[in-house]
Amino acid sequence: MAVIDVVNLSKAFGSNVVLANVNLQVEDGESLVVLGGSGTGKTVLLRNIMGLLTPDSGHVAIEGKIIAQLGRDELFQVRQSIGMCFQMAALFDSMTVFENVAFGLRRHQKMTEAQIQARVEECLSLVGMKGTDKLKPSELSGGMKRRVGFARAIALKPKILLFDEPTTGLDPVMTDVIGRVILDLKDELGVTTITITHDLKSAFEIADRIALLFRGECIACEKPADFKVNPHPVVQQFLRGDADGPFLLDPPPPKRIPKEAHA
Amino acid sequence: MVLTVFDKVGASVLMATDTFGDFAVLAGRAFAAIFKRPFDGKNLLNQFQSVGVNSIPVVVLTSLAVSMVFAVQLAFGFRQFQAEGLASQVEGLAVMRELAPVITGLMLSGRIGSAMAAELGTMQVTEQIDALECLATDPIHYLFVPRLLASMLVVPLLTVVSVYIGFWGGYLILVGVEGQSAYVYGNEFYKLLAFKDLRIAIYKALVFGTIIALVGCWKGYRTQGGAEGVGNAPTSSVVTSSLWILISDFFLTKLLLV
Ligand SMILES: Nc1ncnc2c1ncn2[C@@H]1O[C@H](COP(=O)(O)OP(=O)(O)O)[C@@H](O)[C@H]1O
Ligand SMILES: [Mg+2]
Repeated sequence: MAVIDVVNLSKAFGSNVVLANVNLQVEDGESLVVLGGSGTGKTVLLRNIMGLLTPDSGHVAIEGKIIAQLGRDELFQVRQSIGMCFQMAALFDSMTVFENVAFGLRRHQKMTEAQIQARVEECLSLVGMKGTDKLKPSELSGGMKRRVGFARAIALKPKILLFDEPTTGLDPVMTDVIGRVILDLKDELGVTTITITHDLKSAFEIADRIALLFRGECIACEKPADFKVNPHPVVQQFLRGDADGPFLLDPPPPKRIPKEAHA
Repeated sequence: MVLTVFDKVGASVLMATDTFGDFAVLAGRAFAAIFKRPFDGKNLLNQFQSVGVNSIPVVVLTSLAVSMVFAVQLAFGFRQFQAEGLASQVEGLAVMRELAPVITGLMLSGRIGSAMAAELGTMQVTEQIDALECLATDPIHYLFVPRLLASMLVVPLLTVVSVYIGFWGGYLILVGVEGQSAYVYGNEFYKLLAFKDLRIAIYKALVFGTIIALVGCWKGYRTQGGAEGVGNAPTSSVVTSSLWILISDFFLTKLLLV
């Protein structure tokens, strides 16, 4: 049975149909990468999985439990087994890095202060952020914030990790660092992951399977090798990173041929 | 033509009902969550600090100013028919029953209610409230409850402070400036009051404290639309809670004075 089962999921905001009949299955220990243009509803998909949004039709099931049908207490039980890494990290800015990472532990586990200390250090070193525990989120750079967000998400030893655009807005080197951190986490924790990204390089490194969202539908979901040779024009355009093709609704501005430089 | 008018009236009635319903549901959840585990003592203490201790100067200064100006007016008014002696009794009545709770409520809705709206609003638009949800923590329990408890305790306490300051504000004017006897003022201030009046003041303050915290948290929690939304939340929370403080003051006075 799939750990995460997204069945015929549809979600619209007013007349803006964001997701239409999306189907995705993620098996135990598998790593799914979701690609898609900006504003195609990737975040909306994750928010439906976390139960932050309610689907208009269809459902999301985590280990067989349908999220939208759970009561608050059961929902919180399920959420303890999921770690969510937000696009902008969403760290609690009134707390230090240590308090951020310790938050879930303090609320859900009966641990002594020393055990919490040890677990927080373990999580921070897994993401390469050791020694930052006394800093406030405002003192961190974008990449550091994301990694602290990862540490907070893994503190409760979740079975599922969801990453929302973990590399967007970072330089290429930091993008590679984050890609490695995700791979490390996957290997060491053996978790099931869904990663949303625009970065094709890390996508192919991380993924067991790749899905592409396009106009609210999931038009491909297959092994990286198959994805590369998928004949669908949208897939090929996305892989080439070309403005011309069926991907955009409005035609892009025409390409200028740069004038020959006169020597 | 007529239809569009009905349409518009209908739509705004529906929207008002919607808004009030949303507030009522969240308020109900906040009260229910008071008794839920885990009890977050540290958070509560922080709220007492920021809601209570830091509000003392504001309450002291405004209470002093209002009670003094009221005493000036009373002294002037009663002098018209040679009844200066009544000024201190009426001052006592007004301070205890109306001025102290209402001034404290209004000032605190500006000071703490707006701060709550701004803080929760920022947390909402930066997805920190979603992060709380994802960490299996009920934002109502974690954010609303400590603020509600702090405000329900602090507004009555500060109202008592305000009554005390009001006494000295009247003293400054009626004894210091108008030259009435200090001994007589001390007696007359409490002459028309019974213990019941202190109770009325505290009941009012309790209701005002509840309104301030719930409206502030609710406006913050429902913030949408980035920086502009965060900017609107405190303003709208102050306007709404001040309005409800004044409206409920009328009904509480009618109810409690019988
Ligand atoms: N809470 C919301 N209310 C209204 N529209 C929303 C909301 N959240 C997302 N949308 C809309 O859904 C679409 C997809 O958004 P999103 O999932 O954030 O895109 P992305 O794929 O870049 O993460 C956008 O058009 C956005 O305007
Ligand atoms: Mg997004």
